[in-house]
Amino acid sequence: MTSIIKTRDLHKCYWVGTMPHPALHGIDLDIEQGEFAVLAGRSGSGKSTLLNIIGALESADSGSVEVFDQNILQMTQDRRTRFRLDHIGFVFQAYNLIRVFSARENIAYVCQLQGKSKEESLEIANHWLREVEIEHLGYRKPDQLSGGQQQRVAIARALATEPQIILADEPTANLDTQTGRNLIHLMQGLNQRLGTTFLISSHDPDVKEAASRLIKLADGQIVDEWSTIPKPPISISSACPVQNKPLGERVRIKLNRMFSRRRRKQSPKDNSRHS
Amino acid sequence: MHASRPSINQITLAVALRNLLGHLPRTLLTVGAIAVGLASLIFLWSFNEGLHRNMLGNFQQAIIGSIQIHHQGYFQQPELSDYIRNPEKVAETLETSGIENHSQRLESFGLVASDETTEGVMLIGMDPNTETRVTELEKRIGIGRFLQPGDSYTLILGATTANNLNVRLGDEVIVVGYDRYGVMVAESFTLIGIITSGEMGLDRGMAITSLETLQEMVDMPGQVTTFVINLPEKNIDKAVKQLNEQLHEQPLEIMPWYVMFPVMKEWVTLHNGFLYLFIGVVLFIVIASELNTLLLSMLERTREFGVFMAIGTTRQEVAALLITEALFIGILGTLSGTLLGLITVFITGITGIDLSILLGSTSRFYVDPLVYPQLELGRLGITISAILIASMVAGLYPAWRASQLQPAEAIRYG
Repeated sequence: MTSIIKTRDLHKCYWVGTMPHPALHGIDLDIEQGEFAVLAGRSGSGKSTLLNIIGALESADSGSVEVFDQNILQMTQDRRTRFRLDHIGFVFQAYNLIRVFSARENIAYVCQLQGKSKEESLEIANHWLREVEIEHLGYRKPDQLSGGQQQRVAIARALATEPQIILADEPTANLDTQTGRNLIHLMQGLNQRLGTTFLISSHDPDVKEAASRLIKLADGQIVDEWSTIPKPPISISSACPVQNKPLGERVRIKLNRMFSRRRRKQSPKDNSRHS
Repeated sequence: MHASRPSINQITLAVALRNLLGHLPRTLLTVGAIAVGLASLIFLWSFNEGLHRNMLGNFQQAIIGSIQIHHQGYFQQPELSDYIRNPEKVAETLETSGIENHSQRLESFGLVASDETTEGVMLIGMDPNTETRVTELEKRIGIGRFLQPGDSYTLILGATTANNLNVRLGDEVIVVGYDRYGVMVAESFTLIGIITSGEMGLDRGMAITSLETLQEMVDMPGQVTTFVINLPEKNIDKAVKQLNEQLHEQPLEIMPWYVMFPVMKEWVTLHNGFLYLFIGVVLFIVIASELNTLLLSMLERTREFGVFMAIGTTRQEVAALLITEALFIGILGTLSGTLLGLITVFITGITGIDLSILLGSTSRFYVDPLVYPQLELGRLGITISAILIASMVAGLYPAWRASQLQPAEAIRYG
C-alpha cells in the first residue's frame, strides 16, 4: 500500500527565551491509508507536535512532510488552511467546539466552509450526529453537553468534510474510562467502515489497545513501532469482521498479529500497553 | 478549487452577534461609552452653535447689523463728505434683491455737553420707522423710550455717558458737531432715552437722534452715510456678493459684520477650534474603550480562533469576524448616542440653559443668560461619521492580531 503521510528527517525545536527545547529529532514515519495508528509516549515526547506538523497547524524546522504527496511545509498559510479543510479532520483533547454554535451548527460550519449551502450543511450535520449517536442533542450548545458528548460532536465535525485523515490529539484524556472506551470503539468502527485513516496521539492504554499500529515516541524520536490487530468495536454494530475483509487485508492482519506477538515478547519493558 | 462561501458572511454576522450577546455587560459598557461620548459631542456642538448664534445675533442686532453699505473708504476714515451719492438707487436695489430689512443712517462725530461736562461721541441719525427692522436697540433702552416718527431734536444716550454728563430724562443736552463743509454747529436736544445694555460699546460713546434732525443739523437734507441690513447669518455672504455685482457702478463698500469687526469672528473660530480638540479627545476615548473590549475579547478567544483556523477558516475570515463585531458595537453606539444626543438637544432647546448662575453677567459678551442649543446638521453628520470610523479603526488592530495567530499555538496556549 502507498503511504498517504510521509515524514522524513523531521526536526522541531521550541525556544523558551534563549533555552532550546527539542521536540522532534529526525522523525521518519509512513502512515498508510486506512490505518488506525496511535502515537504513544510520555508527555513531552513530541506526539502532539508531530500531529500538529502533519496537520499543517505548525511548521517544522527542517525535514519534509508529505500528505497525499504534497509537501505541506512549503505551503502558504492560506493554502494550508484549504488543505486542512479538504483532507484533514481534527479531534482535540479539550473538544474545542465553537461555544456560540449548537452541536449541529458546529458540524454544519465546516461544511459551509467547503461552500455548501446552509440547508445542505445542516442535513450533513444531522447525518453525522446520527452516526455518532447523539442526534437528539443537536440543538444543544457545547456547555450543555457532557465531555463524551462534546467529543462525539468533535468527531462528527472532523468527519463532516469527508477527510481522508483524522488527527486526534489525546481524544480520551478528558473523559472517564467508560466514555473513553465508547469513543474509541466509535472511532474504530468509523475507521473500519469508512476507511478513514486515524492518527491518534494518546497515552491511554485503551487507545493503544485498539490501535492497528502503535508508534512509540520518546524525546522526539520514534523508539518503537509495531502493528497489532484491532479489537472489534463494541458500540458500532456495522463494523466489518476480519473474515469479511479482502484476502490481501486478511493476510496483512494475520502478519501483523504474528509480528506483534513477537514484538511483545521482545519488549517486556513496555508494560503500559498491557495495563 | 472551493466553491465560493456565500453562507460564511451570514455565519460571520451570526457569530459576531452571538459573541456580543454572550458578553452582554461588556458589550453594553462599550456601546454605552460610545453613546455617551457621541451624545455629549452632539450636545456640545449644539450648545456651541446656540451660544454663537445668540452671541453673533445679539452683536449684529445691537447696532451694527449684518451688512453695512458706505461710500468707498468711509469705514476706515468716516467723513461727512463721503456720503452715499445715490441712496435711492441703493434702496431700490435692496428692495429688488428681496432684502426688506434695511435702514439708513447719517453718522458723524461730535461732543455732547451738559451743565457740568462734555464727552466725545459718535452722532447717529436713525430713521425710527425702519431702524427696528435691522437692530434691537429699542429693547436696550432701559430708561425712557426709543425714537418715534415726528421726534425732533430728541436724544438717546448710553447709561455711562448720561451718568458722566449727570443728565436725566427730560434734561437739555447740547450737541456740538461739524456740518458737511466743516463748519461747527451746535444744537440743544432733549434727552428721551438712556441705553442700559451692560455692553461697553453701547453704553458709552454714542448719541442717537432721528435721521431728519441730524440731516438738518449738519445741513445734509436727504443724505445718508450708511445703509444697515439685517439678514440671517447663512445669507450674508451671498447677499454681499450679489450687492457688489448690482451696485458696482457706485463707489461703495459693502461690508459684512465680520469684515468690520473681525475679532468676533476670530473668537468664534477659536472657540470651535477648542471643540475640535474636544472631539479629538472623545474620539480617542471611544477608540481606547472599544479597543480594550475587542482586545480583551480577542485574548479570551485565542483558543477559539485557533480552532476556527484549524478547521478551515481563513485568516481573512477570522479578521472579518472581529471587524464585524467592531462594526456592530460602533453602529449600536452611534445609534443610541445619536438618539440620546438628539433628545438632550431637543429638551434643552425648549427649556434653554441658564448660564447666569455660572457666569454672572454675560451681556458684556453679547450673550443672553438663557442659551438654547441648536442642531447644525452638517456638524451632526461629521460627528456621527467620525465616531463610526473611529469604531471601525478600533477593530482593525485586534482583527489583525487574531489573523496572525498560529493555530497550534493558539489552541495550546489560548
